[in-house]
Amino acid sequence: MKIRTVQAYMLKEFMELYRTKLIVMVYLMPLMIVILFGYGIRMDVTQARILIIDNDQSQLSRKLTTAFEHTKYFNAKTTYMSEKEALRTIKQAKTDVILIIPSSFEKNLYKGLVSELGVFIDAAFPTRASTIEAYVQGEILSVAASVTKNMPSQAQGMIELNSRTLFNQAMRDEDAIVPGLIGLVLLVAPAILAALLIVKEKEKGTIFNFYASPLSKGEFLLAKILPVFVLHSLNIFILFLVAIYLFEVPFRGSFLLYWLCSELHIMISLAVGMLISVITKKQIVAVVLTVIVTILPGFLYSGMLMPISSMSGESYIEAHMFPVMYYNHILYDTFLIGQGLASDKILLYLAILVGFLIFFFTSGVLLLKKEIK
Amino acid sequence: MKIFFIILAKELISFMRSVMLVVVVLYSFTVDIYIAGSGIEIKPKNVTVGYVDNTGGGISKKILSRLHQPEFVEPKSYLSQKALSDAIFNKEIVVGIVFDSSFEKNYRQNKVVKLNILLDSTAAAQALTTLSYLQNIVIEFEKLDIPIEIKSHKLFNQNADNHQFMALTELLSIITMLIVILTAIVFVKEKEDGTWDVMLLMPVSPKIIILAKSMSQVLIVMVGVILSLGFVLFGAFDTPMNGSFWLFILFTFIYAFSSAGLGLFVAAVSKDVMQVAQLSIIIMMPLIFLSGAWTPVYAMHPVFQKLSILSPLRYYIEGSESLFYRGTSFIDMMPYFGGVLLLGTMLYWYGFRKIGKLF
Repeated sequence: MKIRTVQAYMLKEFMELYRTKLIVMVYLMPLMIVILFGYGIRMDVTQARILIIDNDQSQLSRKLTTAFEHTKYFNAKTTYMSEKEALRTIKQAKTDVILIIPSSFEKNLYKGLVSELGVFIDAAFPTRASTIEAYVQGEILSVAASVTKNMPSQAQGMIELNSRTLFNQAMRDEDAIVPGLIGLVLLVAPAILAALLIVKEKEKGTIFNFYASPLSKGEFLLAKILPVFVLHSLNIFILFLVAIYLFEVPFRGSFLLYWLCSELHIMISLAVGMLISVITKKQIVAVVLTVIVTILPGFLYSGMLMPISSMSGESYIEAHMFPVMYYNHILYDTFLIGQGLASDKILLYLAILVGFLIFFFTSGVLLLKKEIK
Repeated sequence: MKIFFIILAKELISFMRSVMLVVVVLYSFTVDIYIAGSGIEIKPKNVTVGYVDNTGGGISKKILSRLHQPEFVEPKSYLSQKALSDAIFNKEIVVGIVFDSSFEKNYRQNKVVKLNILLDSTAAAQALTTLSYLQNIVIEFEKLDIPIEIKSHKLFNQNADNHQFMALTELLSIITMLIVILTAIVFVKEKEDGTWDVMLLMPVSPKIIILAKSMSQVLIVMVGVILSLGFVLFGAFDTPMNGSFWLFILFTFIYAFSSAGLGLFVAAVSKDVMQVAQLSIIIMMPLIFLSGAWTPVYAMHPVFQKLSILSPLRYYIEGSESLFYRGTSFIDMMPYFGGVLLLGTMLYWYGFRKIGKLF
């Protein structure tokens, strides 16, 4: 190891980052993304705009309408529009659901005749549509159950759901999303920075300095990675503070574990960026490739949008091929669950992350050429 | 005009020469969109369930048998509550159901009984929906004889097929991402090499050069869009097209130009490719994900709702969804066209001015 040469190289990299004002980007970008998305992404459905066409105008239909008015899930409006007009408001994306209560709905119900409630849902946003559907059904059924319970024919046991939600008791979206965002940001930001470090020199021709220098390939990569690594390490703390104080996400695990595995994760994303930088010849390719390779898995396999255990078939396998899944498992554990190293799974995942790092770094070293072809 | 086509051809040729770039662009328009479409499912599906059954019998089995595909995978049995909660903590299952030993007896005696449910609510929205599924299953099981039939119609997408939707969203994001990055880099490369000043000093109007250069990138993206529509959206996912196909192409073309304006702006303020990469990520990530791609605009934080009025992507996404699914007619599409056109002209004009100045 030629420590002094490596030092000199690192100094040069620092200066370059400083001069191009990229140092601002290193901190601005992750912070901005976490704050914007933390406030911006909402997976739960609240305030769905429901249009109720009440053709019955009875006590029961009014009870149903008020039930919809009084939950936070719906933003109810009662109208006398014709069905056709109401459908047009859906086409203009002004309404999400239409509920049509038929005339003599109350009368039929007490007589025990079947009455049909029409529900029209805008499914252009499919996930929301199924959520809304389940809510509408639940709302109607619970109103109907409360009415029919008093009727004599219904003597039988009742099952009450006694549900205990774990890890995220208040079911806050912030708790679910912010840790995942940290995983995403610490994957994308370092990778993009690292992706250009080598290919930039290739395009400009300054890579020949390295060819002629006494540095070995591993030392060269290390000298390139370390400055960025040190700069990005600060982000671990910044993002932690944002999550805890701004978004009020609970933190139940050990900070040491969070810190160490985040450093490990940053190393991995740097190594990924480095690898891209080694195999590409042009900066434009490196940029596009990094964006495609990091952002999509960062979102898909973060566990932020869907639990990995619910994935099926190929996507389940794909999820296990990207390191971000393992990191996020540990991340969610330190924030919401707090098992820490007591769990075997976390130890295993840590080992897998180390494996990824070694794999990416050695393939980077192997593929890097130190001479003209 | 001749010069316009010469520059256009030059840019297209230099794009084709970089094999790797062509491959990457093709990849993002096909494979990437396919992965996004086939992989993700935000609606609770295949929810993994575990249970502990101490009743030894009938009713618990009947309730469990109602947990079935596609919402739930077959429940797994655990011997003790400890094993069950361990499985939840290790994220092997999402829902745990505990049937007390007195559950069946009390139910048969017409008492009110409690069914204990443990739920991993890390993903809050899914947890809520899963809970409402369970609630509905229990209500149905009790067969309260409620004479109500709920006729639910999911308009435009009867099965709430999420694959098509995700693929479409991904396509719209990819269009934005590529057009901004490609345009910005094409210009910044000239700046880095020092040839941009020379270009502006040539006896050719800089307007033509800028227009031709950005046009070339728009064309590349348009070809990608058509490939992606043909192979992935219509080919692999059977996305419906309820509106007019050509209207969508026109819409995309206008949108691509306005985003190219964004690329011009990025190129104008940055000095090298590194800055372009960072800057375009900073601009695009919020643009893409806050424009209604993941969360409809009206469900977002009020401040962002106001901000999103300024994003051309917002009109593009809403407009495209309307075209594909809702089959909106040309008249009702006018606001979307207007939004994209207005913001696009402003963006393009600003970028144009910035990059076209010599000093």
